[in-house]
Amino acid sequence: MKGRTWQAIVALVVICSLTSTPFGVAADQCRTCHEALGDKPSTLFKRDIHSQKGVSCADCHGGVASAEDMERAMDKSKGFIGVPKGDAVSEVCAKCHGDAKRMAQFRSMIPIGQFKALQASVHGRLSTTGKERIVQCTTCHNAHGIVQVADPASPVYPLNVVKTCTKCHADAAFMQKYNPSLSVDQLEKYRTSVHGMRNAKGDPKTAECASCHGSHEILPSADVRSRVYPTNLPGTCAHCHADASYMKTYGIPTDQFEKFSKSVHGVALLEKHDLGAPACNKCHGNHGATPPGVESISKVCGSCHALNADLFSSSPHKKAFDERKLPECETCHGKHEIIAATDKLLGNSQEAVCSRCHSERERAKGYQVAGTMRSLIDSLELLERKAQLLVSDAEQKGMEISEARFKLRDVRQARLEARTKVHSFNEGQFREVVAKGFATALVVGEEGQQAIDEYYFRRLGLGVATLIITIVAISLYMFIRRIERSAVHKQTSI
Amino acid sequence: MDGAGNMQSEKSKRDFLKYVLGGGLMAWVASVVYPLFAYLKPPKQAEVEVSSVKVGKLATIEKDSGTIVRFGNKPVILLRTSNGELRAFSATCTHLDCTVQYRKDLGVIWCACHNGKYDFNGKNIAGPPPRPLDEFRVVVQGEEVFISKNA
Amino acid sequence: MSSILKKTYEWIDKRVQLETLVEFMGKKYVPVHRHSIWYYFGGVSLFLFIIQVVTGILLLLYYKGSEQLAFESIQFIMSKVQFGWLIRSIHSWAANLFILSAFIHMFSVFFERSYREPREITWITGMFMLFLGMGFGFSGYLLPWNELAFFATKVGTDIAGVLPFVGKPIMVFLRGGDEVTGATLSRFFGFHVAVLPGIFTVLLSIHLVLVQRQGMSEPMGMENVPASERKTMPFFPNFLLRDLLFWLIVLNVLAILAVFFPWELGKKADAFASAPAGIRPEWYFMFMFQTLKFIPAKVLFIDGEVLGVLLFGAAGLLWMIVPFWDRKSSRGEKSRLINYVGLFVVVYIIIFTTLGYVL
Repeated sequence: MKGRTWQAIVALVVICSLTSTPFGVAADQCRTCHEALGDKPSTLFKRDIHSQKGVSCADCHGGVASAEDMERAMDKSKGFIGVPKGDAVSEVCAKCHGDAKRMAQFRSMIPIGQFKALQASVHGRLSTTGKERIVQCTTCHNAHGIVQVADPASPVYPLNVVKTCTKCHADAAFMQKYNPSLSVDQLEKYRTSVHGMRNAKGDPKTAECASCHGSHEILPSADVRSRVYPTNLPGTCAHCHADASYMKTYGIPTDQFEKFSKSVHGVALLEKHDLGAPACNKCHGNHGATPPGVESISKVCGSCHALNADLFSSSPHKKAFDERKLPECETCHGKHEIIAATDKLLGNSQEAVCSRCHSERERAKGYQVAGTMRSLIDSLELLERKAQLLVSDAEQKGMEISEARFKLRDVRQARLEARTKVHSFNEGQFREVVAKGFATALVVGEEGQQAIDEYYFRRLGLGVATLIITIVAISLYMFIRRIERSAVHKQTSI
Repeated sequence: MDGAGNMQSEKSKRDFLKYVLGGGLMAWVASVVYPLFAYLKPPKQAEVEVSSVKVGKLATIEKDSGTIVRFGNKPVILLRTSNGELRAFSATCTHLDCTVQYRKDLGVIWCACHNGKYDFNGKNIAGPPPRPLDEFRVVVQGEEVFISKNA
Repeated sequence: MSSILKKTYEWIDKRVQLETLVEFMGKKYVPVHRHSIWYYFGGVSLFLFIIQVVTGILLLLYYKGSEQLAFESIQFIMSKVQFGWLIRSIHSWAANLFILSAFIHMFSVFFERSYREPREITWITGMFMLFLGMGFGFSGYLLPWNELAFFATKVGTDIAGVLPFVGKPIMVFLRGGDEVTGATLSRFFGFHVAVLPGIFTVLLSIHLVLVQRQGMSEPMGMENVPASERKTMPFFPNFLLRDLLFWLIVLNVLAILAVFFPWELGKKADAFASAPAGIRPEWYFMFMFQTLKFIPAKVLFIDGEVLGVLLFGAAGLLWMIVPFWDRKSSRGEKSRLINYVGLFVVVYIIIFTTLGYVL
């Protein structure tokens, strides 16, 4: 080992003395010697964009580039720093890449905020030692041989990004040190996604890691500023998927985001900031993003709408839909544009979705059941509204009817349960729930009516009181007359 | 003016009048006093805003059970865990206002309408509910259990 | 039965000397003439006041004078408490009837010149009670904390605020701050149930004692009628029973109004909502409110509103001290001026009140 080092140094000295000319020294003595040595950094640096732009070794490593003498060229007192370590690496890059003036000297159009973004990112803030960032510029961009991003040779070229990121992110042992709960199967899932498959086939336009997570500014997904935070995610996906010209070659629609924003889910998520509402990834998956298969839609929707999905799966529709390749929930409810379901979907009228397959002639049984269910739920709603009116009326009249008001909740609940039960597509089950609502609604209505009757009875009572007062007033009047007459009588008689 | 009969009828008339007047006055007093007393009788819901409700004896509440208690105009679910701890939450599901119930078999608070589930801290853990259930305070005084608004 | 009553009477009489009181009552006569009917309005006002006290105390049992609960507690009274709707309705209606009957009482006294010597104090205490009555109305109007009341109070206290020098402090005092807030509600509640009733009771006692001591005033010129032709009726029981009769009629009217035209509650006040249409004060403030609307923004160098408020203040003061500048009536001479003034005021109030509701 020691011998090898000596050999190298001797060779270096010999080469240096050989190449030096008596007329003076070449512009960059570092490269002269190192290239002659054929070491990796100097070889790679030949095709480095920085080399082409006139950046010298000494610009990053310090020292005196013009000095022939090795001692002098790599003199620490002259600013030679050797191989930068830790955070110093990124700081060396930021010397130029964080300085607009210097970048202008190189006629570069690259923005200058990367270093700051990196410092603020999850990669810049996490550290096991507390001394240095996890990731330096060179971690992704390499040190020598850096080429432009658009160059297929670059490690951050779209087709290479996945490999670059997964160097760490697929390494369970490595990730454990920083974020033990973060999974390391992103690559595996990604390769199953439409994005991943196209990327593997060499399509640089499909999404890779950085398309969604960002590059220098990557934040944890739980950070509200993150591009993959639930409320930001639809916008992130839409960045490509709503761009008609970008998506042109893929032949898929670009209105999903528009539809989603107006849907019940989109409004809940984007306007009400209800994080329980699904963003794109809840249905399509994130790294394994792909349209769910026809037969698994009820499972996807069922991850939240469990009861409906269970009922559907055990209903006769499951088999019928699968056979006809009908996308389960979507057939009736739509997908991105889903709006809150109303009772209008049900029944055998023109606007009801049931009538798309069922008619009096074709599949008539379903046609009948749909009609019955609709009329049942309609009458339940009517009964509920009637009971509600009676209760409100009684309340307006100042009657104590909180018991009935409380029971009214059960009617509503029965109606909501019935709406869920529709998905069993079984008249018996549906009737059972509706009957519960009917019974309660009738009781509430009766109580309301009783309270109103009671009110009129009280009014009658007040009428009686008024009558009493009137009688008292009249008799009082007569009494006064009598007293006065008798007084006059007495006076005259005296 | 003369004639005893005239005097007699005059007298009976006056007596009649006295009865009417006296009876009327009494009826009138009754018609004033009755509403007055009815007004003074504390109403079923004693206050504008119910701040606490008496549930019953601690001994009557089974372990590993949930009961719906009326709190003003809203239902509250009182839970007793298997180790005897008492907790109370608003029983109104945060999704679409159905009334939730305790499912012994699942060990969760469950909403029948859309299968929403909440854990023993009232946190929404599955299904469509967007928010946790509001918590109420449970106070045990001697043998009696009370539920009150969380201050 | 009657012996027990007698014994009780004797027991009390021994200690309180009821005898003199009974004697006094027995000897008290009320003049009878074609204007006698007006005597009853004082009694009716008294009766309505008593109703207000009773129903007010009843409401107090359930009412909560705070911004969060005021509206809800009235709702509670009206829907949850048995007969609560009736009590509240009666309280609201009786308040209005009280002001009406007090106005009638005042004008009848004015036109009869009953304020003349020696009844100046009775007149002045009566006038103060009328103002207090309006104060009751103004403060009570806010207590349900509904939208209309909230904005009417805002406007009403704003008007007080335009007075030069003292206006701003008065407004801040009334509101308990710069704006109408929960603080105003607490304050008005205090005025309504403690401060005003306290003062009112004192004035009422003076007023009633004076009426009893001095007897009913007779119309001008009665002194010239020979004693034999003057008709009277004993205060007890004749006049008292008639009073009672009137009270019963009023009670009936009140019951009918309360049941068939229940007082509405409206919407809960929201300080940040925009003012709803149709903000108007109670009817007895309407003529003043309407006048202020008619006065141009600037009259010479004075602010129109300031001028209006000052004018009403001056007019009110003049009206109150009428016993002192109307010397003619005190001397027993007929004064046409008083008739004209009174008539003008009545017509003015009627016209402007009507305009307030029509426009």
